[in-house]
Amino acid sequence: MKSTVKLGLILAIFAAAACASLAVVYQITAPAIASQEQDSLNTSLKELFPDATAHEDITAAVTSGDETVKIVSAYLVKSDMAPLGVAIKATGTSYKGPATLLVGVRLDRSITGVRVLDLSDTPGLGGNASNASYYVNKGNKVTFPGQFTGKYITDKFEVKGDVIPITAATVTSKALTKIVKVAGASAGVWLESMALGNATPSATSGASTQATAPATSGAASAETTSGASK
Amino acid sequence: MKRNEVKNLWKIFKAGLVYENPLLVLMIGICSSLAVTSNVSNGLGMGLAMTFVLLFSEIFISAFRKLIPNGARLPIFIIIIAAFTTIVDLVMKAYFPALSKSMGVFIPLIVVNCIIMGRVEAFSSKQKVLPSIFDALGMGLGYTWVLIVISAVREILGNGTFAGIQVMPASYTPILFFILPPGGFLVFGLLMSINNGIKSAMKKREALAAKQLPDQRNAKENA
Repeated sequence: MKSTVKLGLILAIFAAAACASLAVVYQITAPAIASQEQDSLNTSLKELFPDATAHEDITAAVTSGDETVKIVSAYLVKSDMAPLGVAIKATGTSYKGPATLLVGVRLDRSITGVRVLDLSDTPGLGGNASNASYYVNKGNKVTFPGQFTGKYITDKFEVKGDVIPITAATVTSKALTKIVKVAGASAGVWLESMALGNATPSATSGASTQATAPATSGAASAETTSGASK
Repeated sequence: MKRNEVKNLWKIFKAGLVYENPLLVLMIGICSSLAVTSNVSNGLGMGLAMTFVLLFSEIFISAFRKLIPNGARLPIFIIIIAAFTTIVDLVMKAYFPALSKSMGVFIPLIVVNCIIMGRVEAFSSKQKVLPSIFDALGMGLGYTWVLIVISAVREILGNGTFAGIQVMPASYTPILFFILPPGGFLVFGLLMSINNGIKSAMKKREALAAKQLPDQRNAKENA
């Protein structure tokens, strides 16, 4: 009995010492880890929206329309003058585990770009989704995530339809396409709720305005109309 | 006496590198080694992270070996190993985010890597600090060089690159097989057989040298 208590005490002393030293290391590295994460977020937002100067966390207000895709975080990206669009970090299940994408949506509901942040699928097959030199369209040098740029969130997002899959990686292609689609849709819902952009004026039905949206190109027109509506 | 000691330390170091290489001879810790070796930078990073944890765990456990009661030794080993693994994990996240991301869960899993547990239990809990340092360096670097060799073969054949730099001509079609898990097993098996070949050749040479030694001595005495 006495020896058990003694063993427990010694174990507790070792555990306390280990905890104390970890606390010290954590204190030292925590700011570096936080700034590292901030940096990588800033660079990826900048890649999606080159004019971005600031962003605002809107994670709490954005909800996923599909239970298999989770919204990790969401940002309203702004330039000096006006909002540019929404960037959504969403995660879903791919072939070998979770996949995390960052999807940027402009005010006119077009996708400015998709970045693969985290993917553990088979290298050389599904892993090609994050390979910058793997092209699903060799002629135009379009990568798998690259092909989403310029699509509208109301598009079909059908693999082998309007989305070119990665060869021999249908599961990955479908999973990533679904994440993009759901993220895009949630961005659309949020933009609508804030009455930002021009794609869906409240009275008219969705379809007709979506038809006009592709005709007007770029963020410039989106900004002018959003200004006018105010 | 002193020369003997140095010789002994060197022997401990060499044992880890070749004769008792954790992967090729003791065959422990294989799981992590096959999982992360699809490219060279991962192999190197994993090897060094593992060496660091092994080195500091062995130093600490050897230094405190008289204070660690036999009955509670395993939990105490785990606490010490886990503390150093967490330190490596935090430092990597803070200063090498790309590497930390690509190795994912395998860094935290160093805690349960059987090489560390095995060496701590078999070696440093019974030895002084200095031999423990050499054991840790030998075993750690032995693990690292095997990882680098496996990952180099797999990356060059399976992706046409070495540490991310294109080395094969553009016309080369990567053999995907090598990057996939079965390729890892194949390369690992071949490496193991090469190591066995070298080992038996070295033993033969040593046996031959031992035979020749008395002959030479005899010759000298005669002269």
